Amino acid sequence: MLTPLSIKIVDKPGKDEGGRGIKALLFLLVTLPGLWAPAKAQENNQMQNGVMNPREMNPDTIAAGQKLFTAACSGCHGAHAEGGRGPNLADGTLVRRKDAQHLFGSIRRGVPGTDMPPFNLPDAQIWQMLVYIYSLSTPAAESRVPGDAEAGKATFIGKGNCAHCHMILGRGGFLGPDLSNIGMSRSWNQLRQALLDSNSRSTSGYQGVTVITAAGPPITGIVKYRTNYSVGVQDAGGNLHLLPMHDVRELLFRKGSLMPDDYPRRLTPGEIDDVVAFLSRQSVRPIKIPGAPASPSRNPQ
Amino acid sequence: MKMKLLCGILLAVLLIAPPAGSQVRYEEIVQGPGANWLTYHGDYKGWRYSRLKQITHDNVARLVPKWTYHVEGANRLETTPLVFDGVMYVTNTNEVDALDARTGRRIWQYRDDQSSQQSVNRGVAVLGDRVYFLTGDVHLVALQRNTGAVLWHKQYAPADKAYSATLAPLALKDRVIVGVAGGDSGIRGFVAALSASTGEELWRFWTIPARGETGAETWNGFPAEYGGGATWMTGTYDPNLNLIYWPTGNPWPDLYDQERHGDNLYTCSVVAIDADTGKLKWYFQFTPHDTHDWDAQSTPVLVDLDFQGRRRKLLLHPNRNGFFYVLDRTNGQFLHATPFVKKLNWATGVDAKGRPIEVPDMEPTPAGKKVCPSMVGAANWMSPSFDPETGLLYVPVLEQCDLYTRSDSAPDPMKELMGTGSAQIPSEPGQFFLRALDPKTGALRWEYPMTGPVTMSAGAVSTAGGLVFFGDDDGQLVALNAQTGKHLWHYFMGQTLTASPITFSVDGKQYVCIASATDIFAFGLFEPAVPFPLVETSEQPLP
Repeated sequence: MLTPLSIKIVDKPGKDEGGRGIKALLFLLVTLPGLWAPAKAQENNQMQNGVMNPREMNPDTIAAGQKLFTAACSGCHGAHAEGGRGPNLADGTLVRRKDAQHLFGSIRRGVPGTDMPPFNLPDAQIWQMLVYIYSLSTPAAESRVPGDAEAGKATFIGKGNCAHCHMILGRGGFLGPDLSNIGMSRSWNQLRQALLDSNSRSTSGYQGVTVITAAGPPITGIVKYRTNYSVGVQDAGGNLHLLPMHDVRELLFRKGSLMPDDYPRRLTPGEIDDVVAFLSRQSVRPIKIPGAPASPSRNPQ
Repeated sequence: MKMKLLCGILLAVLLIAPPAGSQVRYEEIVQGPGANWLTYHGDYKGWRYSRLKQITHDNVARLVPKWTYHVEGANRLETTPLVFDGVMYVTNTNEVDALDARTGRRIWQYRDDQSSQQSVNRGVAVLGDRVYFLTGDVHLVALQRNTGAVLWHKQYAPADKAYSATLAPLALKDRVIVGVAGGDSGIRGFVAALSASTGEELWRFWTIPARGETGAETWNGFPAEYGGGATWMTGTYDPNLNLIYWPTGNPWPDLYDQERHGDNLYTCSVVAIDADTGKLKWYFQFTPHDTHDWDAQSTPVLVDLDFQGRRRKLLLHPNRNGFFYVLDRTNGQFLHATPFVKKLNWATGVDAKGRPIEVPDMEPTPAGKKVCPSMVGAANWMSPSFDPETGLLYVPVLEQCDLYTRSDSAPDPMKELMGTGSAQIPSEPGQFFLRALDPKTGALRWEYPMTGPVTMSAGAVSTAGGLVFFGDDDGQLVALNAQTGKHLWHYFMGQTLTASPITFSVDGKQYVCIASATDIFAFGLFEPAVPFPLVETSEQPLP
């Protein structure tokens, strides 16, 4: 049961807007008590002196934050925080530029001189929104994540059979994307989604195919590229087959991702947390302190 | 039948096994370019000469574009594409793309978004089943050649101490030779060998001697850690002598010399290094105590020729300082030097040991001093090409003078050098030429003038088809008769060129290829279009 409430946004405090004060009406979904409970438990773990670590990832907090975000923020910042009337919050630019306390203040008090109104919500809810926003762009390697990475490694190689198709630093199979740096190129939530939700996986560059050739044996592997005139296939042994379509009689594509879709059944929630924790650690270089932007080359010799 | 085939996809997967595909062999790199182009200069000798001869001066008029690959986000490609077994490897800043060399379609891409330096990149090295490249922040990265999967990353110099990397590494035998950029910010240059299998550093040769070492006396106490001597271009290698020839950059600060009294070894030099041990065998300094930023980055070209009555192992080098040098590459003995530009006013010649006979008062001043050649130099890193058929060395040459200025006070190391530099003289615009030089005397055999805005960094490639291809400062790839220098063909790519062309062959068809600022262009002989009937496709669910 979700109850829409209308909340009147008051004029921004501490600033005379000279008649430009923004009054907005928005519909806020009040979360169910069921959503509150884990969020409260979170609070105990994560909140110290009223400050939460927004890089501490937890699926319930993220889900609660997303609900609040959808209700309160998506009108201006986009359904997926991709930006609109308000800035993009999903690409990490804002998150990297401002610390969490500052962003908390922006939500609570609004941003004077802009269209961003204040939101008079409980602290815990603002922090939930921030955890959601951080979850969109913070690399998993720079997040505090649940689970045991060492146990996850064992599951990755053993029960999960992930190394059958995925390579990490030269060890593993050839049919799935290389995961050597996946902790830096994906957020924790993205990693988790990829494991739990087969619809969240892109097949681009990894779609299964069998090529019936005009002369010679069929070739089975993944499609690296394909046009009406040529196709590039990489087989399970990592070999490339680059063929003009004159040499091809038929292409039998595999529907959907080759990655099994039964991990939610095959692995326990704890094992999934462990595998995601293991993947979150995969970074080819030492993990950097967030907030240090890449510097442009000063000397392009 | 179909389902059976589809089931096969999840079976027979090899775990932790190298791909069965063919390997890039060191011996094939030694042989030099045929169908494949396997190292930055084409071969270890620095020739950029291919024995391919399907495209000749008789049919080059029928050369047409075959495909164009756009490198997303690129604005200054400096990459020399490598080709092995029908796959091409090109680079941009912190990025490698593997392309189907027949079609220009991308097979895989590796991007390092965490690199802290956005430097230009000149290309990869290939060896075995691996691709090696350098990130801007000085990591040697080994990738699985067919898939682009990362095998390891190895940082070999600190990017936060002004080091960066721009060059294509040089892979030979069991090792990968690398250098560094950043010489104008006050680094200590070096050449290093890293294990091709693990990235472990095998040796390092510092281009600036430390206090107490031989050569340190040429600095008069100037701190070695800021001395410069960058190693930002790929060197060459003689497998028989087992020597690596690496060009070194200018001393730091480049135009401000008030504190670094002496010759400043081993800057503006070529150093011959034992490939196994990293020990210096010999060096030759082209510009002692350089004050004009005349890095020695032009390729050291290795040829064996009859010289003054006997067969000798030579090293040819057109230098930024305006002189063309011939050395004995076994021992570094100076044999010959002659100007290869007309605009040269800083020296009257070289003495018997190859040291320039300098004209007094040609150093930069705070007010500005007109010196020729320009700071870009008479030659620079644009690749020359040596054609054993014509016996000529083709060199992109710039005729230009600059007004050189220096600051009043010493700059800070690790920061961009401010207050010094050079400016073109508006009333005396420069001009690029492709010049064909006699490799023994440096004598000019022919030249082809360019007509553009005097900004480019493109080089040349020559072929057994009797052709020399080069990029010009008008954004054109041009083909000349290699013997006579007569124009045969050109194509305008509409962009400033900062890379050198190559040629390769796949499925029996020869291609010529060059990176423009933003795209890779591949050319081949005209063939009438053949219709492609649509291929039947179907989509099957997982079994």
